[in-house]
Amino acid sequence: MSSPVRQAGRLQLFAEPIAVLLIVTAVLVWAFTGELDSIEQRNITFANILTLTWEHLQLTAAISVIVLLAGVPLGVLVSRRWARHIAPLVLGLATIGQAAPAVGVLVLFFLLTGQTGFWIAVLPMALYALLPVLRNTLVGLQQVDRTLVEAGRGIGMSAFTVLRRIEFPLAIPHVLAGMRTALVLAVGVATLAMFVNGGGLGSMIDTGYKLRRTSILVVGAVLAAALALLVDWLGGLAERRLGPKGLR
Amino acid sequence: MRNRPLWTVALLMTGSLLAGCGLSAGGAPPLHVKPGSIQPVPELAGVELTVGSKDFSEQLVLAYLAEFALSAAGAKVRDLSNIAGSNSGRDALVTGQVDLMWEYTGTGWISYLGKEDPIPDDAAQFEAVRKEDLARNGIVWSLMAPLNNTYAFAMSRKNAERLGIRTMSELAKLVKEQPQEGTFCLESEFASRNDGMPGVQKTYGFEPAPGNVKLLGIGPIYQAVANGGTCNFGEIFTTDGRVLALDLVVLADDRNFFPRYNASVTLRKETAAAHPQITEVLRPVAAKLTNEVVLKLNAEVDVDGKDPAEVARDWLVREGFVRLP
Repeated sequence: MSSPVRQAGRLQLFAEPIAVLLIVTAVLVWAFTGELDSIEQRNITFANILTLTWEHLQLTAAISVIVLLAGVPLGVLVSRRWARHIAPLVLGLATIGQAAPAVGVLVLFFLLTGQTGFWIAVLPMALYALLPVLRNTLVGLQQVDRTLVEAGRGIGMSAFTVLRRIEFPLAIPHVLAGMRTALVLAVGVATLAMFVNGGGLGSMIDTGYKLRRTSILVVGAVLAAALALLVDWLGGLAERRLGPKGLR
Repeated sequence: MRNRPLWTVALLMTGSLLAGCGLSAGGAPPLHVKPGSIQPVPELAGVELTVGSKDFSEQLVLAYLAEFALSAAGAKVRDLSNIAGSNSGRDALVTGQVDLMWEYTGTGWISYLGKEDPIPDDAAQFEAVRKEDLARNGIVWSLMAPLNNTYAFAMSRKNAERLGIRTMSELAKLVKEQPQEGTFCLESEFASRNDGMPGVQKTYGFEPAPGNVKLLGIGPIYQAVANGGTCNFGEIFTTDGRVLALDLVVLADDRNFFPRYNASVTLRKETAAAHPQITEVLRPVAAKLTNEVVLKLNAEVDVDGKDPAEVARDWLVREGFVRLP
């Protein structure tokens, strides 16, 4: 009975990466077969595109790891009963980070440290992408039915065991949804890393726009968008695999 | 239905708000002036002219200079300055949303006309842009100002004294002899233009060591050069007020490599033909705009935090072009 449903699911599963692959191929073919002047030739090379895409992936990965390692534990901490009073404060701080324009946070961080490079781009952007994970973790844990927690405590589980075996598994769908949002956000803001020598596809977008070389702009923008779609797709996969079995 | 009066008030307020600002872009110039040495021109009386500009201090100041000069001559000026990005500003001019805009000869040549190599002479570059942009896009270039807002390399005062460098040729020598000192902060755009880093390296004959070229946004570059840690040399614009504010030393382009970016007035062919008086009014103003003058005006905005409109008006008053009302 479930096989047609599962087949549709599988099709949907692979439709997105295939579409992304087709679009990227089409754009690259268009860019490479066009008549390129010397400015375009300097930018549209396989080596340059690969380097920038790789840099962009590294930025995204670093941001994601920091957000995961900082956002989830922080979300768990502020969801505890004893932290009830500081939760709004933490959320407030995280919201300030996000309400500020990403490029402002980035440049401010550069001005404070006087340094440039990969980490000077990654740290402020991680701060920027932290909010969805933090908030979703908090909300995910808060929406767990109190009676389940009390039942767990009633059968003699420690507070930590309740968190590990009841609360967190039930909050996972929320946490993952937040992670997915943060990751897509990370791919987007990583285009700004080029303001502080952080690399990434942003430099193609910037150069293409400023010099009115549409081919450079389009290649940079489409690759960044394709990365965002792929990351979103991976997030979707993770949501399916890691969510609680009963809710799949 | 009890709330009807409130509703009516709300509707009226929304309506008047929309009528006030929502439906057409641009507004009156923010300050008023009276004729000085610029006298009312009968042909311009009541003629509606929209002045546009890009979104950086120098462009704002230049736009307001034109606005005040034209209002003193009697035109009804609309202010559409501060358009984000060169391309958007240019499109506004081409499509007729803007009647007049200051543009740079190098930008016209390389960005809008798609040329790869600049012409190394103010007048020749202007003439080439003027001819081709008129033929291809119907845009008239006139009144080239002495102001040449081109690229240059700058360093902090401390680094300049430590390394004893004043010219680009000396920079090239340094890079060859002490490669570790040849660290550069560039915009990604500059790194890929023929009239940017690739051309500089070819003309002066040097090559920075791999990893010594850092790509930054233009804002961070000024600060990074001033700090002196990230890079010894940074790409800057010659008329940027931050050169004064951060006490940067600008290297002389002793082989005359960098393209000409002389500010000029650009208009559509129809506007220029219908109102030839525009350029006559602006001619004496444009003639006085040298790098020294504009560098100071830019610094008043960027460093002292003054309003660009005020800076523009006060200079026009000081020069006697207009009077305060």
